[in-house]
Amino acid sequence: MNPVLPGEIAIKSESDIVAARRTVRDAAMQVGFGMTDVTRIVTAASELARNVFKYAGEGAMTWRQLEEPGRMGIELRFIDHGPGIADVQLALQEGYSTGAGLGLGLPGAKRLMDELDIQTASGQGTTITLKKWRMI
Amino acid sequence: MKSKTKSPNGGGEKRLEAVTTPDMLRMLVENVRDYAIILLDPKGNVTSWSPTAERLKGWRAEEIIGQHFSKFYPPEDNVSHKTATELAVAEKEGRFEDEGWRVRKDGTRFWANVVLTALRDKEGKLVGFGKVTRDLSERRAAEEKIRKQSQEIFEMAAVPVVQVWEGILLVPLIGTLDSQRTQHLMERLLQRVTETSSPVALLDITGVPTIDSQTAQHLIETVAAVRLLGADVVLTGVRPTIAQTLVHLGIDLSNVFTRSSLTAGVRMALEILNLKVGPKS
Amino acid sequence: MNNESISVIKVRDILMVTMPSDPDDSTISSLQNKVLTAMERTDAKGVILDISTVETLDSFFARTVSETAQMVALMGGRTIVAGMRPAVAVTATQIGLTLKNIETSLNVERALDAATAERPRDPR
Ligand SMILES: Nc1ncnc2c1ncn2[C@@H]1O[C@H](COP(=O)(O)OP(=O)(O)OP(=O)(O)O)[C@@H](O)[C@H]1O
Ligand SMILES: [Mg+2]
Repeated sequence: MNPVLPGEIAIKSESDIVAARRTVRDAAMQVGFGMTDVTRIVTAASELARNVFKYAGEGAMTWRQLEEPGRMGIELRFIDHGPGIADVQLALQEGYSTGAGLGLGLPGAKRLMDELDIQTASGQGTTITLKKWRMI
Repeated sequence: MKSKTKSPNGGGEKRLEAVTTPDMLRMLVENVRDYAIILLDPKGNVTSWSPTAERLKGWRAEEIIGQHFSKFYPPEDNVSHKTATELAVAEKEGRFEDEGWRVRKDGTRFWANVVLTALRDKEGKLVGFGKVTRDLSERRAAEEKIRKQSQEIFEMAAVPVVQVWEGILLVPLIGTLDSQRTQHLMERLLQRVTETSSPVALLDITGVPTIDSQTAQHLIETVAAVRLLGADVVLTGVRPTIAQTLVHLGIDLSNVFTRSSLTAGVRMALEILNLKVGPKS
Repeated sequence: MNNESISVIKVRDILMVTMPSDPDDSTISSLQNKVLTAMERTDAKGVILDISTVETLDSFFARTVSETAQMVALMGGRTIVAGMRPAVAVTATQIGLTLKNIETSLNVERALDAATAERPRDPR
């Protein structure tokens, strides 16, 4: 019954993407998510951590446990000061990519998590907040 | 009440209460186990601390008296907002009760039940708050375990997955398939396919009254996920009305093996098994 | 951070490729080269990609697997992805990763049976 302590790690190299995945896996397990949800959360984190590294060069991820009556959850936030996303609707469309990817990262993360919020503007950097809940 | 009894020193009932009751109260506050009882001033600063509070929360009286009770909250809570609301509610309603994480001096957490009670003098002026905190960590852990277990039992009962033949699993679906149930179904079926290394799963929808487009989508996803594992799904019990609905909804099941009866499905499954074993064996 | 790497060994005329559980991006990227050079060197008939320990299959990983399979096909070989975990399969499906045109198998032994059989197994 140890709650997850909030924390932050930098994302500025490829190995930080691996570290972000591991951190998120541990935290999600500690919050009590089942194996499938843990995999969903880690996969979403992997997508967004790679986007930070690929499009902004560097940034950070923070995580914390959420508590509400009847449910518990995890919040992940990816913060960078890169170029920002000019058209969020477009970026959320499946298959849209400026980086020769499948364009599945953002829309995929949205489907895997319960909530996804994007704060961004051209030249202003990007902050993406993800939440996943489980009933208790 | 010994209201009519005179005390030996002849002081009368007033004196008895003045000496004994506060002493007994103090003993109660200091010795009751599992509860920490403290006093706050109207702004929420600690004015009285007890040994039980020290035991539960770690601070000594001289460290905490005069400090604001927001110290007891985890940092990620919106602390100033929360504490202000709690005091306001307790003042207005007379009482505020909450359950949640609280922190000890060393930073560790415990799951607490907290009751704040407004204390007023004879004129009704607010003089402070009584705060009773109870450590419920153990109860919460036990509850969570039970909830998790019953959830698992419920999910298993809702979606039976049976092995009918070496290499063939059968999932007889009965009743309406909502999203959540289909989700559980998918997870359990995949688990069983892997555990039993079964190359074929029969998904029998004979007992499903109607299918809407969302359910059909879930079924298609289930089939896709099972294929990623390296197994196939045969959808059986597709009655005429369901076949009509699926076509009208524009759902493409051309990539999914479907059979009208379970018997035909089993035959199909055996055929797939044969092909999978390969000509060499 | 990650010292594990991809192992490639030849069994009969098939290349058995084992992925580490949590590979970083350069390890994933090295998959293509390793497999294609081994295909050429050993004249293998096909590739079995064992992902049974893989815990996360994101879009980058999946794209690399798909592309590698396409290249192997151009060199006349088959690719069978073996041993995907249930949670990974659910997640991949939900993101929309279908691994189109890739054969899958429950485990490495079955994959080996299928790969050495005379014809592809899919009756569709
Ligand atoms: N942190 C970011 N900063 C700037 N642009 C971003 C950021 N994240 C995403 N984008 C933009 O949004 C587009 C879509 O992102 P998404 O992750 O869905 O696809 P992708 O990264 O191009 O491909 P995939 O993730 O499938 O490999 C990207 O191509 C990029 O233009
Ligand atoms: Mg991406």
